[in-house]
Amino acid sequence: MNYRRLLALFLLILLTGHAAELPALWAERVKSVVAVEYYTETETDRRPSVCYGTVIDRNGTIILPPVAINPRITPTQLKEFKVYRAGGSTSVPAVYLGQDALTGWHFVRAAESIRSELIPITTYAAKTSAEPAMAEEVWGIGLRNKDEDFASYLLDSRIALIQSLPQRTAIALHEVAGPGLPVFNLAGEFLGLAASSFGQSFVQFTRMDRNGTPVILVNVEESSVFQVAAEVLPYLGRVPANVYGRPLAWLGASGLQPVDPDVGKFLKLENQSGAVVSEVLEGSPAEKAGMKARDVILAVDGAPLPRLKPDRVVVGFLEREVARRAPGQTLKLTVLRGETRLDLPVVLGEEPRLTTEADRKYFDRIGLTAREFVYADAVTLRVKTSNLTGVIAHFVKPNGPAAIAGLRTDDWIKEIDGTEVTNFVAAAQKLGEIEADAQRAEFVLLVGRGNETAVLRVKLK
Amino acid sequence: MLKVFVTGLLLTVSASAAMTRGFNQLFDAVVRIDVREVAFEDGAKRLSASIGSGVILTKDGLILTNAHVASPRAVELSVTLASLERVSARLVGWDHWTDLAVLQIDLAEVKRRGLKFTHAEFGNSDDLFVGQTVYAVGTPFGLTRTATRGIISNNRRYFEDNRGVNGYETGSFNTWLQTDAAINPGNSGGPLVTEDGKVIGISSRGYLGANNLGFAIPASTARRVMDGLVRDGTITRSYIGLVPRALQDFENFYSLALNTGMLVNNVDRGSPADRAGLRGGDILLAVNGVKVDGRFPEQLPPIQNMIASMPVGSPVKLSVKRGAQAADYTVVTEKLESRVGEEWVLEKWGLSVRKVTRTYARDNQLDDANGVLVIGVQPGFPADVAGLSRGDIITKINRQAITNLATIQALHTAYVAKPAPVLVEAQRNREVSLYVLKP
Repeated sequence: MNYRRLLALFLLILLTGHAAELPALWAERVKSVVAVEYYTETETDRRPSVCYGTVIDRNGTIILPPVAINPRITPTQLKEFKVYRAGGSTSVPAVYLGQDALTGWHFVRAAESIRSELIPITTYAAKTSAEPAMAEEVWGIGLRNKDEDFASYLLDSRIALIQSLPQRTAIALHEVAGPGLPVFNLAGEFLGLAASSFGQSFVQFTRMDRNGTPVILVNVEESSVFQVAAEVLPYLGRVPANVYGRPLAWLGASGLQPVDPDVGKFLKLENQSGAVVSEVLEGSPAEKAGMKARDVILAVDGAPLPRLKPDRVVVGFLEREVARRAPGQTLKLTVLRGETRLDLPVVLGEEPRLTTEADRKYFDRIGLTAREFVYADAVTLRVKTSNLTGVIAHFVKPNGPAAIAGLRTDDWIKEIDGTEVTNFVAAAQKLGEIEADAQRAEFVLLVGRGNETAVLRVKLK
Repeated sequence: MLKVFVTGLLLTVSASAAMTRGFNQLFDAVVRIDVREVAFEDGAKRLSASIGSGVILTKDGLILTNAHVASPRAVELSVTLASLERVSARLVGWDHWTDLAVLQIDLAEVKRRGLKFTHAEFGNSDDLFVGQTVYAVGTPFGLTRTATRGIISNNRRYFEDNRGVNGYETGSFNTWLQTDAAINPGNSGGPLVTEDGKVIGISSRGYLGANNLGFAIPASTARRVMDGLVRDGTITRSYIGLVPRALQDFENFYSLALNTGMLVNNVDRGSPADRAGLRGGDILLAVNGVKVDGRFPEQLPPIQNMIASMPVGSPVKLSVKRGAQAADYTVVTEKLESRVGEEWVLEKWGLSVRKVTRTYARDNQLDDANGVLVIGVQPGFPADVAGLSRGDIITKINRQAITNLATIQALHTAYVAKPAPVLVEAQRNREVSLYVLKP
């Protein structure tokens, strides 16, 4: 009894001893975090967004969490990046460098003038790469909103669980840092970066109406989960060479589905997992290597797929195995086809042109953004990827002439005024002519939607 | 209580329908139909009961009713005659496209019990005019032998419903009579008649929440379908894969004279018309040299019916205008199939399935028509525990392709005899997953 009390007292002294240094640690480490503001320019409006980032080097390079930017937005629509220091009311301009496929991070580089005031997170890297211990006390930084000058504040918690998802991920008892911001131990060593998708949710009863409908509030400004330092520090050099993050390794096996333990047992997979390939994409490296739909991937370069929990995580594991490699590299996949095991060496290719890279043009009088038809569209629409014709309605202005005619976002425009649309340039020219012709009262579109086509009459007057 | 009510109603009818002999005869030919049918939802076999109406149309006891009243799912059909006696009946055939079914009264039973019935006669539905007085006779909400009165509100109403007859398609090949005679649930399958008691339609449906918007299948269609069902037990139609749309307002754009041609809104992928090279936006000018006019929606069902009425496998010459070009295409018709395939329940697995049809496969962009669609699972049973759910398509079991219902039934029977884990390959949207059903 006495012994336990003594130990508790001892621990308390130890913790308080560290905590006494916290103000000093805080003052330095808060220089590793910034707020980043940018504008998203769409056809009809221009909206600011704010996210948080961590400084990774002396050149003003900052990483932002994957969800900081909506994946449907193209880099050309991103404007006016600005970087604010914690507690700062003035900003410096920054440049968007692109997104890394493996980590999902967006990279931004701040202007020279602010760089001397920032300290890279690598400064606080621990001597050993040990993971935080169970129940260890950890702390991190949160940032308030723009109206409060991004004031920094302290968050503090204890480690409740560490899992492979597939990255080693620590889950704390409660919020420990703003998403994308660093977490430290009591010695001030960098432990990891807060993830963005684990905001805690609360059920609250609204006071706005008398029936008190429950509403779920998600805390998107703070996170209780972080990826450990070993999942961060080795990847800081992956600064994209261009805004599209190319080169992008491409396998072309899509719709991967995990094998659950019961199925694993049936297939005699001991202590390992597998992933079912739903589709092998036309012309892809997987197809060239002889992979077939319904093959079960069992191993990468001879290493069996690990049993990760939940089952679903194995898919992320495989995707990362592809993303961490470069086009041209060979990936040896072992698959189960029926009851036969096969080794398929796949030479990874370069990802086909992405929808975010596709050409696009907005026609205001018609109320339509036409976008180039790319490989992914053919996959979605289940048509041969060898002849990419038509354009995609990327944006249909609400209540605009095209919308009133029944055109919807993602419709496939196959003919304009009875003329087949062969490519984006031809479509843009035709739509441009129609838009410029003030006498024009209407025109006709043939569009594909799902498995069907429809003839739409767009009235301009 | 009920009997008093019916008697009172009879008096009203006799006063306003001038009590013709024809009407009385018709009234005696109208029957109530009690149906017990099996459903395969939720991974179990369940029986349900419903009530509809029908009309005896021949002296040997053939009854016309709706397909949504009596379908092949019916396990017990009983008919209440004008004498209020009940006799059993069997299904001769059904046709959900026109929402019609034909039943045969059990004549041996009629004879054994010494029962009697009369039959009604068809009138000419093509001669009807808007405003003409008509009566609906049937069993609304189980109220046997109820007559309601109204007028023909429209004699050529168009509507198609993809799931209109218990999930089956209807309305592509016929127009409908619209009436304001009250048609309530239970009236289904009863006759719509003129004042002299001639059957000019079969009451089928009303708009929910609307006032007095009822619809009936015209006698011209009913007579034809009834003949076909009595002859063959089924109606076989041809399919080429054109989805039409009224040309209204598009004539200028396509440089067409008024009342010429039908707009092709869509060509089903993989259909005969698709393989022949037709596509959406084409104008169909003539079928086998017969000019078509699809300017208004009401004109579309007869055009569709003309194509559907051709023998399966017959070549059809389609004259088509595309832009300034006109060309003829020859397509060979296929047999028309419903989206909805045959259903079954695999009880030990707690799994209800429906055969994937060619049409379903086409609609859902599946590679082929193999496999069965999961339409329900019973909680706690092997299929549910393994993670299968409604909407999955089972393509293989123990690595054997499921090409028809018999295959999966045989595998289930083997499992019942000797329960052992079973490997299931199933597809949801475009994702393929494996499952193990454990005893």
